[in-house]
Amino acid sequence: MKIINHGIAKHLVLAIFTACCVLSACDGVLNQEPRNELSEEIAISDARSAAAAVAGLYNQLQDANYYGRNFLIMSDVSSNQGQSIGTWDFYREMDTYQNSTGNTEIGYFYSRAYRTIYVANTILNIVPGLSDLTETQRSTMLGEAYFVRGLTYFDLLRTFGGYPGIVGTMGFAPAAESERGQLTSPARLSLSESYAMVEANLLQAESLLPSSANRSRASKAAAQALLSRLYLYTKDFASCIRYSDMVINDDNYTLNPSYTDIFTTKLSTESVFELTFNNADQSGIRNWYFPTSQGGRGDLACHTSFVEKARMDADDIRGTLYAVEPSQGVYYPTKYNKSGNIDNIHVIRIAEMYLNRAEAKARSGTDLPGALADLNSIRNRAGVQQLQLTDAAGLTEAIWAEQQLEFAFEGHSFFDLVRTEKIFDVMQDVPRLNSPTSISFTDIERALFPIPLFEINANSNMVQNPAYQ
Amino acid sequence: MKPKLILLCFLLQFGQLARGQVKTITGMVLDGSDKSALPGVSVLIKGTTQGTKTGTNGKFQLQTGSTNAILVFTFLGYETKEVSIAGQSQISVQLNATENLMEEVVITGYGGPQSRRTVTSAISQVKAEEIANIPASSSDQLLQGRASGVQVNSNSGTPGGGVSVRIRGTSSINASSEPLYIIDGIPMQSNNLSGLSIGGGITNPMADINPADIASMEVLKDASATAIYGARAANGVVLITTKRGANKKATINVGAYMGAQEITKKPGVVDGPTFEMLMNEVAENAGNNAPYGSPANALNTDWATPILRTGQLRNLDLSISGGGEKMRYMISGNNFLQEGILKNSDFNRTTARINLDFTPVDKLNMGTSVLYSNNSRKRLRNDDNISGGLEGTFFYPPNRGIYNEDGTYFKIPTFENPLAAINETTIGMETNRFLGTVFAEYEFIPNLKLKSNFSFDYSNVAERVYDNSKTNSGSAVGGVAQRLGTNNSNWVQENVLSYRFNSAGHNLNALVGTSFQQSRTDVATSTGQGFPSDAFQEIVAAAVLRSTSTSTGYGIASFFSRIDYNYQSKYLLTMNLRRDGSSRFGSKNKWGTFPSVGLGWVLSEESFMKNLGFLSTVKLRGSYGVTGNQSGINDFQSLGLWGGGAYADLAGIAPTQLANPNLKWETTNQLDIGIEFGLLKDRMHIDIDYYNKHTKDLLLAVSIPRTTGFDQLFQNYGEMRNRGIELGINADVLGPDSKFKWDLSFNIATNKNKILRLAAPFNIYNRDIYRYEEGGEMFSFYLHPQTGVNPETGDIEFEDVDGNGEFDVNNDRRIVGSANPDFFGGITNSFKWKGFDLSFFLQYMYGNEQLHWNRFFQEHGGTRSTNFSISQLDRWQQPGDITMVPRMTANNYASDIRPSRFLENGSYMRLKNITFGYNLPVSFASKIGMSSARIYVSGQNVFTITDYSGLDPELTGTASNTLTQGIEFYSMPQPRTFMAGINLNF
Repeated sequence: MKIINHGIAKHLVLAIFTACCVLSACDGVLNQEPRNELSEEIAISDARSAAAAVAGLYNQLQDANYYGRNFLIMSDVSSNQGQSIGTWDFYREMDTYQNSTGNTEIGYFYSRAYRTIYVANTILNIVPGLSDLTETQRSTMLGEAYFVRGLTYFDLLRTFGGYPGIVGTMGFAPAAESERGQLTSPARLSLSESYAMVEANLLQAESLLPSSANRSRASKAAAQALLSRLYLYTKDFASCIRYSDMVINDDNYTLNPSYTDIFTTKLSTESVFELTFNNADQSGIRNWYFPTSQGGRGDLACHTSFVEKARMDADDIRGTLYAVEPSQGVYYPTKYNKSGNIDNIHVIRIAEMYLNRAEAKARSGTDLPGALADLNSIRNRAGVQQLQLTDAAGLTEAIWAEQQLEFAFEGHSFFDLVRTEKIFDVMQDVPRLNSPTSISFTDIERALFPIPLFEINANSNMVQNPAYQ
Repeated sequence: MKPKLILLCFLLQFGQLARGQVKTITGMVLDGSDKSALPGVSVLIKGTTQGTKTGTNGKFQLQTGSTNAILVFTFLGYETKEVSIAGQSQISVQLNATENLMEEVVITGYGGPQSRRTVTSAISQVKAEEIANIPASSSDQLLQGRASGVQVNSNSGTPGGGVSVRIRGTSSINASSEPLYIIDGIPMQSNNLSGLSIGGGITNPMADINPADIASMEVLKDASATAIYGARAANGVVLITTKRGANKKATINVGAYMGAQEITKKPGVVDGPTFEMLMNEVAENAGNNAPYGSPANALNTDWATPILRTGQLRNLDLSISGGGEKMRYMISGNNFLQEGILKNSDFNRTTARINLDFTPVDKLNMGTSVLYSNNSRKRLRNDDNISGGLEGTFFYPPNRGIYNEDGTYFKIPTFENPLAAINETTIGMETNRFLGTVFAEYEFIPNLKLKSNFSFDYSNVAERVYDNSKTNSGSAVGGVAQRLGTNNSNWVQENVLSYRFNSAGHNLNALVGTSFQQSRTDVATSTGQGFPSDAFQEIVAAAVLRSTSTSTGYGIASFFSRIDYNYQSKYLLTMNLRRDGSSRFGSKNKWGTFPSVGLGWVLSEESFMKNLGFLSTVKLRGSYGVTGNQSGINDFQSLGLWGGGAYADLAGIAPTQLANPNLKWETTNQLDIGIEFGLLKDRMHIDIDYYNKHTKDLLLAVSIPRTTGFDQLFQNYGEMRNRGIELGINADVLGPDSKFKWDLSFNIATNKNKILRLAAPFNIYNRDIYRYEEGGEMFSFYLHPQTGVNPETGDIEFEDVDGNGEFDVNNDRRIVGSANPDFFGGITNSFKWKGFDLSFFLQYMYGNEQLHWNRFFQEHGGTRSTNFSISQLDRWQQPGDITMVPRMTANNYASDIRPSRFLENGSYMRLKNITFGYNLPVSFASKIGMSSARIYVSGQNVFTITDYSGLDPELTGTASNTLTQGIEFYSMPQPRTFMAGINLNF
């Protein structure tokens, strides 16, 4: 009786051999490498990839949930300029000051802002350690990261935190670069600490960034311009004037003689900081305002009362940038009108420096003629008549009104109206297309957007704004 | 059992001890019905352990010393036969397939066929004849109502559209809950490969397979059955076995049917005069002037009719099978065309299959299973898409014409003109799939076999979309086109070493095996806009071009083993152990171990249980085991990653996810207790199962503080439970001897789902209509509970959920129901008398709620300028009216309230299929050269009994989001079909 013969033995050897071959393949199938995306150590490792990370920083800013669309709409639909005429809840809530903590677009902005800060923090963590950068490259990259982080904190602050002396006591929850990648639950800073932090970031940026005529990226002037804006919020008028002067005196930036040209061309001399978009990288803002017949989705429109105000002076060139939606008879803005959604977004224009300086001079009473001159230079460009005002209060009112017309639908309106407390005046019985009742702004606490519910749920140290508690 | 005894028995198998006068007996065993040679039939000399098996030609040879020995022929699935030698040296035997339901053969994972009597696990079987000639595009649809505990929903009536299959409930939140599909032993790619975003619907790759090729489908439900598939088995396993050739004369089968499909119910919207009358009432209620002077004379456009049609249905199956001693074959071809009930939608499949088996030398079996499938779909935007044709018919006002005076399409804001949506957009999808296996099995020594196989599953999906300049999306840019090319390739290599041992009542079947699999998906996308004219549709002619590509993959390595043992088919034991590693998981937790044990006891084999009268078989079984889940998450979910993020023309990068090196398998522990009865000599078979599935370490996208820069992190967090009872009854009601045959099959199942642990409650989907929270269940609807309408004022009234005395939209909302049924199942009756056959199949679901979400948009009370649903006519009009539909004022229809009145009872019972057929007398058929011929007529979805007011209670318009179910959201309903067909055998 012979159970195992030669043949079988041979087969067994073969089988074992096969099994071994197969087992050695095991490691192969389990070691898959990602191709679409890479781990951080590989992704940012030298000068070239660091430059890509910095470009990625601007990519965050131009996201549809930030400057690419949503952040601008959040401001303009909450003011007397825009209204929600579509079926979505999120913009209707903003339009009618009934924001819920579950408002998706507020949530998206909040998330995108912190994602932006994460990228800035990554650059601040990694770039100092890269060996193949020149010192200029290194300081520029770090300056850009400080600038974007300062801008983002500032935007979070005006959306969720508050305005010194007007509303709010709590600022933002900081995301320190030293804690990047860890699951932390930071508490909100005080409002003043938050403003100080924004200022510190921007001052760092100003010192690190070079002067540059590259308007699509952060520059020394962009940091100075943002500081000018910041000092209006903190009512440090002297600093505001000083920083506005620096930018106005910089030869790289001049008022574009044609107001409409600012929007039809890209990166004109008007721009201090402008985010560029192209076919591969589209901005969503046109799509939301333009009617269906023009290939948009027509979910948003202008408040008719605002367009009437903008067209009060028939000579005002700025009043030409509105068109009528045919089926419902509402207006929509045409500042962003490029088919294919390739409009650039203007974050800071030189015109703002003139009006900032005018406001600071008027409110501080230091130089009323200078304030009037700045105001008139903006009015002059818009084709409207020069004003002859001599009293500080009247001048201030005129400057504030001018800000609204000049930067209509560029995302400034709501923040400026709250900062100046004009919101109570202009948001009185404003009619809406979608509801039988008009809207009024009555509670200053509603000037702050709610901290999204998901953040309250995920972070036990997070405190909600009073209006939503 | 003593080890020494095993060894002795083992040795006896191979040693033939010569004793006395030896006589050689040769013979052949044939199938009693088709006379094909039966290989592998056990031939035993009664009263001894001496025996052999038939070869591939059905022949056997053995030696005996006795001239009047009795030979016992046993073969799985056939009746056992005893034949006395009576001095002969040549014996030919025919075996008949068993009609005893307890002896039915079921297929088990890796184990091959096994008698139902000795199975310790919960397995449901669907046989070829049950699903033959039913015009379903995909085989998973055919499981609906036929297997207890298997809940199948067709998401829509879209040809080749997605199907949701849940075996014993939904056990996962962020990972997939779809079962693992194994076709001829090979895990099959079954995920939606369409990369287009054209609404909430998905396509179904299972439709690549020709249902007529399927011999049987086994649904493995409990851990004892599924654990051999370890890490991917938590959602159950569906084994699909295709038909193969046999050692017999070639037979040719021709099957063909043709039919027509139509919508069962048109969209329930009001006509032009009613629309204007309602709009006037809205204005009146608001104190405004009536906008329409004479509603009675209003234009009346029926938006639905121009886009609907009677769809054609056509199927042709051809197959030839047969073979000889060395080679067996089954070759088939199929063409199936299903036109949608909406114009410009269809599914057209052509397949070829070649299944070959060779026996080049004794002890070596080799074979291939090869499928090539080509199918093309014409698709439409539907299922929650503002550009959808069906959606447009609900929104477009009926008092306006389809076209403007200048011949252009009339358009309202946001929504696409239905006709433009159908006619001015082309969406095509073409799939080419190759699914092939090569295997070899060698029997080293009797009953010790090594089987190795290599399989390749490759799909190429080409998709194209063109929106011309007459569409909303194409008008501003001069036409938009998109092209997508998706390549998905999977290879699997498996080796299984098995040993079978039968002696003195001990039956052992043991196996060990390895399996390695790798999958890769590459997608290239290009888009173009701005075409010279609508005649140009290829992107090369576009003014603006963009393109992108992605690539991803995963691998799985596995080692597994099983022991199946029974003593005298009375005491049963099954043990499985599988160890799996997945590339998807963190470096610390790549591997997982999945054991299971199943026990069975056939009580009726015990002497004290004999003679129980009508009760012929009683079997108890129980199992417990652990299975895992890894599908549905991204391939690199455990890593911290950066992807592309360009800024204008500068290459840039952006972070995409945080790392979680601890990420690991989702695991499900399942207990199953079952009892089986055979009644009236096993003419009736009853299966009752209780199960409790506890899933822990759920792969959950846990919301983390956004200050980290990220929204969520996939963590193993959360627990879920599914438990239920299943009952299945199969009966040959009048017995095998009756001339009139009546087969009855009935099944019913309950499943109770409960979310035991979650990181935080969350709301999802459009307007947050689903809510997930601890203690809740999957697919729970989160709405404002409407208590009624004030009969005096007509104002809407809600429950004050937070009890603060007033209604507010943020706080007075709660879970009001779920899409999960209390019970569901199916009933099939089939009758045969002489040449006639009649069968009808009812499928039902009870206690589930269906959200009629169209009503949210169409019952708008005048807050929109779009059309109304007919339910708007139930509005409150004057004091005293009792209704749920409030007075038409803006406050009652504010867009931020989600009234619970739209949540309807979704229970239904549907006559899914009825077939009447006639078999031509054999004598007549043979005259025209056929062995059999059958003609039949049949109808599908003939009627539905339901209180649900929408188009179809089975719809889920949001299938691309696995956390939603039971919501009608502008989806194409399932059509009613009538057809006629023939089956010919030569």
